[in-house]
Amino acid sequence: MKTRQPTFISALILSTALISTAAVSAEDMVLVPEGSFTPFFLKKDNANSSSAAAQAINAFWLDATPVTNRKFQAFVNKHPAWHKSNIRKIFTDSHYLAHWQNTQGSADTADLDKPVVNVSWFAAEAYCEAQDKRLPSTDEWEYALTDNGRDQENLQKQIINWYSVPNQELPAVGSKPANGFGIFDLVGLIWEWTADFNSYMAPPDSRNSGDKNLFCGSGSLNASNLGDYAAFMRYSYRESLKGNFTGRNLGFRCAKDAK
Amino acid sequence: MKTNLKHQLLLSLLFACSALSGRFQAFAEDHEHHHHETSLATPDPATVSTDSVFNITDSWTAADGKTFQLGQLGGKPTVVAMVYTSCQYVCPLTVQNIKRIERALPAAQAGKVNFALFSFDPQRDTPAKLAEFAKLHAITSPSWVLAQGSESAVRKLAVTLGIKYKKVQSGDYEHDATISILDSKGVVRFQSNAMNKDIHDATEALKALLH
Repeated sequence: MKTRQPTFISALILSTALISTAAVSAEDMVLVPEGSFTPFFLKKDNANSSSAAAQAINAFWLDATPVTNRKFQAFVNKHPAWHKSNIRKIFTDSHYLAHWQNTQGSADTADLDKPVVNVSWFAAEAYCEAQDKRLPSTDEWEYALTDNGRDQENLQKQIINWYSVPNQELPAVGSKPANGFGIFDLVGLIWEWTADFNSYMAPPDSRNSGDKNLFCGSGSLNASNLGDYAAFMRYSYRESLKGNFTGRNLGFRCAKDAK
Repeated sequence: MKTNLKHQLLLSLLFACSALSGRFQAFAEDHEHHHHETSLATPDPATVSTDSVFNITDSWTAADGKTFQLGQLGGKPTVVAMVYTSCQYVCPLTVQNIKRIERALPAAQAGKVNFALFSFDPQRDTPAKLAEFAKLHAITSPSWVLAQGSESAVRKLAVTLGIKYKKVQSGDYEHDATISILDSKGVVRFQSNAMNKDIHDATEALKALLH
């Protein structure tokens, strides 16, 4: 017995390590347990109170990794209306799948396991719908990122480091360790669409005063965590998007209700 | 601002009264003539203009319970706004301003335009609730459609029209108040703040589409 136990434990550690570093296919969804988190902006009801409002989140399924070129290619093959040459103008700007440069307008073999980028919200939405999934809400996405409060300081450093480096060649999805929920690549790879990227996220005061510069002046003072510059960046970025926009670092992953 | 609001309310009261008399009959006549026009066939996707809102194929349910797709609004220009019926201030004002646009059109042209209100609130705005709202706002013309859609249909339409909104914990919605004017092919040709009392530009944009 005594000799077996360490072997058993190391086997366990080994298998855990394997799970968290092995390549994860995009069908793989992770059940994110219910919980709560504090959104970057305070809710209307307590804009004057100093304590930030916790937002309850129901359990939901989230793709473990961003959607890859491989998966998106399969979707396009099945739904030719979303091929580069067929997509309706109202659903995208002119850079849709701009990195799919071969003559067929399909993904380069070398890029198959990299996250798909240059996709509009409409394309991302259509992809998720075709898988009987949906895009995660901004709250769900942000909640997944908080990772139940695990090692926030390190997380923020990681994010800021990523934001500060110029665009690099994208690696394959799932190349770095997952977070505590088992989710890969929420930071360090790409920006991601959310279902309600077009929500109002500005603090109520700046709205009521009719201030269109949502992040100027006193606006940002209502943020729940003034130190969270990374969150400020994400919310500002989403605020700047339109549904037909594409970006060479903008991709997505899908979610599903836990029911 | 406050006096403007009072003025606005007075105007809408006046309108409500006039709707009960002369205009109501005009609507009723209209109803006779155009009764079957709402059940147009969905256009073939291949013929839909590539930058048209009609490329969205979600189903909506009108206040009369009939389901339709955006493409069925084609053939006429459409004045579009997104509202919800529990909304106390912005949405009633939006409706009033659209009605002012309708009234600003020559009688012969008013019947050649669709007026469509899409609800942000799929949970509470059932067709029955929408019918009640229409009644409350003296909307009797068959040129008007009030519609309920799924959460994803609502989001898709809002994103397409560039309308930001968020459901807040009370169940209400914070949202942009935007009036959009689509041409007969469903291409957005004009947008303005629905709170804007000056409807001149909107009306001119609409008239231009009627020629």
